[in-house]
Amino acid sequence: MKVDRRSFLGLGLGAVAGVVVSPVGLKLTDDSSIWTQNWPWTPVPVDGEVSYDSSVCNLCPGNCGISVRKIADRPVKIEGLAGYPINDGGACLHGIAGLQYLYDPARVKTPLIKKGDKFEKISWEDAITLVAGKLANIRKGGAPQKLACITDKTQGSVPKLFDRFLTAFGSPNLYTMPSLESCLELTAQTLHGNGNTLGFDLENSDFILSFGAGLIEGWGSPVSCFKANASRKKRGAKLYQIEPRLSNTAACADKWIPIKPGTEADLALGICAVMIKNNQFNSSTFKDGFNRFAIMVRNKYAPAKVAGICGIKVADIEKIAGQFVMAKRPLAIPGRGRGRNGQSLKEFAAVHTLNCLVGNLNQRGGAFVMAKNDYLSFPEAILDGVAEVGAGQEKLAGSVDEFVTKLNAAGKPIVDALFVYNANPCYSLNEPKRVKQAFKKVPFVVSFSSFLDETAMEADVILPMNTFLERTEDVPSQAGLTKNVVGLIRPVLKPVFDTKDPGDALIFLARALGGSIAQNFDWETYADCLGDVTAGIWDSLSENGHVLVPPKPFKEFFEGPPDVDFTFLATNPSTVQAQGDFGLTLIPIDNMRLLGAMPADSPFAIKTVSDKVLIGKDIVVEINPQTARGLKDGGDALLTTPVGAARVKVNFNEGIMPGVLGMVRGLGHTFDNKFVSNKGVNVNDLIGPQIESGSGLDAAFGIKAKISKV
Amino acid sequence: MIQDKKEHKFGMVIDLDKCTGCGSCMVSCMSENNIPFKEDESRKKDSITWMRVYKLTNGKSFPDIQIAYLPRPCQHCSGKGGHGHSPCVSVCPATATDYGYDTGIVSQIYTRCFGCRYCMGACPYHARYFNWWDPEWPAGQEKYLSPNVSPRMRGVVEKCSLCYHRYQAARDKAYYEGRDDIEESEYQTACTTACPAGAIVFGDLNDPSHMVHQIVKPDPHPDPMNKYVVDKSRNPKVFRLLERLGTNTKIYYLSEREWVRKAGDNYLDGEWDKVKNHHGSSSK
Amino acid sequence: MSKIENKAENGSGEGVEKGTADDPKDDKGLGLGVIFFMVAFLVCFLSGWLLFPKLLYSKKEQPFNFDHKLHVAEVGDCETCHFLREDGTFSGLPSMESCLECHTDEPMGETKDEAIFAREYVAKEKEVPWLVYSKQPDCVFFSHAAHINGAGMDCITCHGPIGESTTSRPYEENRITGYSRDIWGKNIWGIKKHSWDRMKMDDCAVCHKKETGQQGYCFQCHK
Repeated sequence: MKVDRRSFLGLGLGAVAGVVVSPVGLKLTDDSSIWTQNWPWTPVPVDGEVSYDSSVCNLCPGNCGISVRKIADRPVKIEGLAGYPINDGGACLHGIAGLQYLYDPARVKTPLIKKGDKFEKISWEDAITLVAGKLANIRKGGAPQKLACITDKTQGSVPKLFDRFLTAFGSPNLYTMPSLESCLELTAQTLHGNGNTLGFDLENSDFILSFGAGLIEGWGSPVSCFKANASRKKRGAKLYQIEPRLSNTAACADKWIPIKPGTEADLALGICAVMIKNNQFNSSTFKDGFNRFAIMVRNKYAPAKVAGICGIKVADIEKIAGQFVMAKRPLAIPGRGRGRNGQSLKEFAAVHTLNCLVGNLNQRGGAFVMAKNDYLSFPEAILDGVAEVGAGQEKLAGSVDEFVTKLNAAGKPIVDALFVYNANPCYSLNEPKRVKQAFKKVPFVVSFSSFLDETAMEADVILPMNTFLERTEDVPSQAGLTKNVVGLIRPVLKPVFDTKDPGDALIFLARALGGSIAQNFDWETYADCLGDVTAGIWDSLSENGHVLVPPKPFKEFFEGPPDVDFTFLATNPSTVQAQGDFGLTLIPIDNMRLLGAMPADSPFAIKTVSDKVLIGKDIVVEINPQTARGLKDGGDALLTTPVGAARVKVNFNEGIMPGVLGMVRGLGHTFDNKFVSNKGVNVNDLIGPQIESGSGLDAAFGIKAKISKV
Repeated sequence: MIQDKKEHKFGMVIDLDKCTGCGSCMVSCMSENNIPFKEDESRKKDSITWMRVYKLTNGKSFPDIQIAYLPRPCQHCSGKGGHGHSPCVSVCPATATDYGYDTGIVSQIYTRCFGCRYCMGACPYHARYFNWWDPEWPAGQEKYLSPNVSPRMRGVVEKCSLCYHRYQAARDKAYYEGRDDIEESEYQTACTTACPAGAIVFGDLNDPSHMVHQIVKPDPHPDPMNKYVVDKSRNPKVFRLLERLGTNTKIYYLSEREWVRKAGDNYLDGEWDKVKNHHGSSSK
Repeated sequence: MSKIENKAENGSGEGVEKGTADDPKDDKGLGLGVIFFMVAFLVCFLSGWLLFPKLLYSKKEQPFNFDHKLHVAEVGDCETCHFLREDGTFSGLPSMESCLECHTDEPMGETKDEAIFAREYVAKEKEVPWLVYSKQPDCVFFSHAAHINGAGMDCITCHGPIGESTTSRPYEENRITGYSRDIWGKNIWGIKKHSWDRMKMDDCAVCHKKETGQQGYCFQCHK
């Protein structure tokens, strides 16, 4: 027997034939095709029972009710909460993308301490002990006012707890970031006296004269504004939008009135002059200074003069005044863009004066002068000797911008420790590099933050906060609404990381400090505190998730129109001018698709941004072709202002006034999140602060600029 | 055995005068349908957005310029004559996309697709997107993914499904409750419910009780000017994108502004004036 | 050129030699070839049939034995534990919460398996990590409501007489696809005797075609 080649051939053929007729071929073909259809690294989301949790979104001051869909106890989608008094089922893109913040790459996952240039993990106990130690030393030095704090807002129990902490500690140095709410409070205080704020009944007005208020760009409570705008057509209500650029609000307005940037106050006063000249006003509640004001506007704001300043024809100014007066329920609203940054008290007061003159105060469809939402009752603060000393001290500055300026100007530290809660001044104030400089002059900065953002990066200790989906908090509506709604944020899941509610962190810290400070925070948890200080409304707040305060229709609530005090405007305070003497004016653009401030955007929001706003890593600047001599549409350019310069791309836009450059606000973050950061430039880097005398507000509406091809 | 007794034809009408371009619909869609994201999403051709909002302008110069926004989901073409031969379905060699005659919805089955992208070439609306990369979520973020829409892998095409899983969910509930059919409010797409301006109306174009039917008033007769065009709206303010192609899309648009309606197609000089007042054969 | 010729010459020479060995009259070589063919065929065929499935599937044991028969006898039907939720979705395998409607951390019976259940899962408040024999891939949408309530089908048609089982058989996972063996079916040829033997798309389509007149559209069963 000889095993030859043919035998091997037989062996091979036999093997092949055997495999072919066995199920191997069929089965492997099937399996391998399935394998290529379902890669093991493609996630398979777990299925389960569907449930819905109601809560409130606090990504912006809008405070919309949200419904969180959960599957197998895992939140999978955020939607607007139907029936909620602010947004009734609507939601904006940022709220809908809210779940992305839970697992944001830039989240602070544990308490961190800065060692050299790096942050190191530290336990909560050690972090609190460290902070308490530093604070105790400040008190030992007898100058408790050397602790300062920056928060995002003043309303609600959490900002009030920070306030309380500073009071108990002995420092008056609590500052809040610029906001529409603070501008409205300041305006109401100036024209109607302390303790008031303003609301605008957009849903019922039939003629809205908006001085650049971006009703579609995120002004006030965005979803509520969207809804009011959407119902205009049905109601036959008109919207006139006055601003230098064809924004989305201007695009859906009945009339867009382009105006030279920063001259809105002049136009408002010009319209006042026309109304007064024509005797078309209602003076029954005018208290002080009206005559002086009338003479002032007649002399200084005659339509012919205003026309030149604003770039609007005299006839048009008179026509607008006429239409405003003739409307049944006219309403003028201030606050360019989101009404947050670069606002001026003069402008707010001038615009609101139109409401006062036309007599729509506390009328359906008009402007509402309301008492500040005051539903919280904290136990009286207990002050020890040190705190008493601090209580007698002057506040260092009138506004956060002035505070930053003073920090920078001082030779040695005027503040020994600084708390920052839910604010990102190192990004969102104008000229952030001066803010970072100021932070470097503070020996000890504590950031209460959910994200390792530009400001948290400057801190010495970061105490990580729960996001709005993981925490409990009361959120009063503000944002220019005529309703007082207190919403309740409820955790929809357990904290993903080792984070705490801000209230709990403060209680923890107060306890570590002991003495009278601990006495002021005598609650086991923040949840106990919240139940305690909202005692009057807690039952219905916890049951319904929100409370209308007071729960009455406005007619019963508001008693007649309030007094109007004209003394501030009668002196004709000076209008802030754009810094520098270049030929063009750069203005920041508020865009609904970008949050613009705190927190930074979600990856989904960035994804919606147009390629006419951001291309790759380049920000796009809008310019009218008439002004764009030497530039190419889509080309590269160098934008220079007195404060800085940036490489940009150019977009020819017929919807922006000649002589104006528009750059979106909200890009150019520099922290560690590749989906959101290092895209474009931060427009605030190019604009310097312009402090308005009298209000202390940074009223820089823009800055002079030049642009050249590169 | 309960069968779908009625033949549905789901579609929507989007009021471009109400749309403010806020972007809620885009993000609601992304969040509902497990749409991934990557570092650079500014190259819009490879940025997966089932729902994309385009900006239109009237082409005039300052200050007469006007802008409008046009949200564009998959148009769910019924194809020439409305027989279900959608441009993409006709070219798919893998039957990875088909036309649901019971719903009028054009499907896309990721596991079946092998990525030839014929459908993308065939689609006149750029509504289809190719996964050039495997989706990647930052650590932990895959926890928010919904089990109702399966995540895609690289190498396949994806597009708007009119939130078909919401239709399935509504039907499941109807089955449970022993009902034959679903209510208008039970099946609404994620973009529709998210729109804060109420610009999107979604429903069954075959059902006269549905709002979308009442606004669109689809003409049951073929267009006498073009026999391939069916279901033309009898509402003079309503139009479809590239209607003359006979793709018979089920996404209708509404605008009072003539320049916006004109933007729905490319017209030769003088052509628009001939067709602008032609709104369905039996409209007169 | 000459080299090639050389080679060719040598080659042909060898060929001649071989030719003699392979002389048709001497059929021993062919016979051996046939035998080799047969043996190889049989070995490969048999291993493809019998050994291949053993290699293809890995066996995993369930956390502990589950006695369906006993439970059906106690609660009376399938729906008590495997129910449709009010929104029409199917609950699938019961969660610990439904088990605890009857069970406590004190075993009710005396089996070893219940003791494991009480000790390892009830007492520790952990869900039982059951392996689901009928788990379909992620791209599949299956509506239990449509089949149970809509079409009036019973569980056995697709799931077989699992309610009569007293022990849990091992879960077999396909090493390539990661799916349960039940999808393809126990029979490696894909031959089915009962309606529940296989759960592939074609099996759905066959039944749909028979019952509704058409196979259905993609989205009917895919997501």
